[in-house]
Amino acid sequence: MRLRVSILLVGLAVACSFVGFAAPAQSNGARAAEPADVREINLEGLKKILQRDPKDTRPLLVNFWATWCDPCREEFPDLVKVDADYTAKRLNFVAVSLDDVADIKTAVPKFLKEMNATMPVVLLNVNDPEPAIHAVDEKWDGQLPATFLFDKDGKVVFKYFGRIKPEELRSAIDKAVGTKQ
Amino acid sequence: MKKNYALPLFLASILIVAFAAVAGSGRNGSDLPAPPALGTTIDDFKLPDTDGAEHSLKSLTGKNGAVLIFISVQCPVSNAYNERMEKLAQDYKARGVNVIGINSNNTEPVAQVKSHAGEKHLTFTILKDDGNKIADRLGATKTPEVYVLDTSSKLVYHGRIDNSQKLEGITSNDLREALDEMLSGKPISKTGGAAFGCTIKRVS
Repeated sequence: MRLRVSILLVGLAVACSFVGFAAPAQSNGARAAEPADVREINLEGLKKILQRDPKDTRPLLVNFWATWCDPCREEFPDLVKVDADYTAKRLNFVAVSLDDVADIKTAVPKFLKEMNATMPVVLLNVNDPEPAIHAVDEKWDGQLPATFLFDKDGKVVFKYFGRIKPEELRSAIDKAVGTKQ
Repeated sequence: MKKNYALPLFLASILIVAFAAVAGSGRNGSDLPAPPALGTTIDDFKLPDTDGAEHSLKSLTGKNGAVLIFISVQCPVSNAYNERMEKLAQDYKARGVNVIGINSNNTEPVAQVKSHAGEKHLTFTILKDDGNKIADRLGATKTPEVYVLDTSSKLVYHGRIDNSQKLEGITSNDLREALDEMLSGKPISKTGGAAFGCTIKRVS
């Protein structure tokens, strides 16, 4: 009888852990700060982010998203958690919104507030997206969301098109920062 | 006789959550097959339209070629192009090139695709790609995404419609320019282009 109960409990525990992993987290309770103002950037601004400050040795995580993109919205709680968990480990994380510039003071900050997001967020405002897309990665065709991790030398060490798998992203960040989270 | 429910319950719970995890995630862009290279002949395929009638690619291709556009009901980017796609279909049908819409989103049932086409006055044929088989075959990842085939079903253009979701921002009419070059027998100077779009919602 004890064995049956144990098997059942193990099954339920595994079930709960899977469901918890599959469902997006609702918020990042550890951070209550207001989201930072969303800054508008152009192609040059994006290139500057990607080129980085040579003195900054932190890996750079860049997520391209938009409020109109369902998988972007779905993965955002995971990214908020990543930001909270790794900031102390000196991960540089920038979220690049592809929303319309008209939404820079409305839909974008509203969504970020709902997410309790406090990572730096910029809104890319370009008339022709192609140069911006190619500046990030030649293999990227512009589908959203898209997530790129650059090492301290600016080399792409992880990229994912579509809704991220948090464990894969975290594993890549662990390697890039040189420690296990 | 007492029945032992523990093991079946355990196995059932594992199966249920495994299914839920897979169904919730779907396939994502990084593990999809690459699109065919330009110049590749696209094999004929059959898909149903929004009334359930089956069509082959060959039967829908115009005498001078076809434009396949992966479209969406809900994607704001795809919707920003509704009028442009319809105008394109009308302009180029007269020149022997047929526009064919393909909806591969598993989140958008055929009834929704049909009513959306009616509301947005899309008169070109829209095929429903259940199971995203054709999206997989063509390596399509987002909406809108365009494939131009010439008279021999050879892929001659793959990419965006133009450079801007907003009409007033268009400075590079890539698809129309490619079609005009193809129709005049010239080599296509720009065979594609990147633009932001919504990820195709695939089945797992």
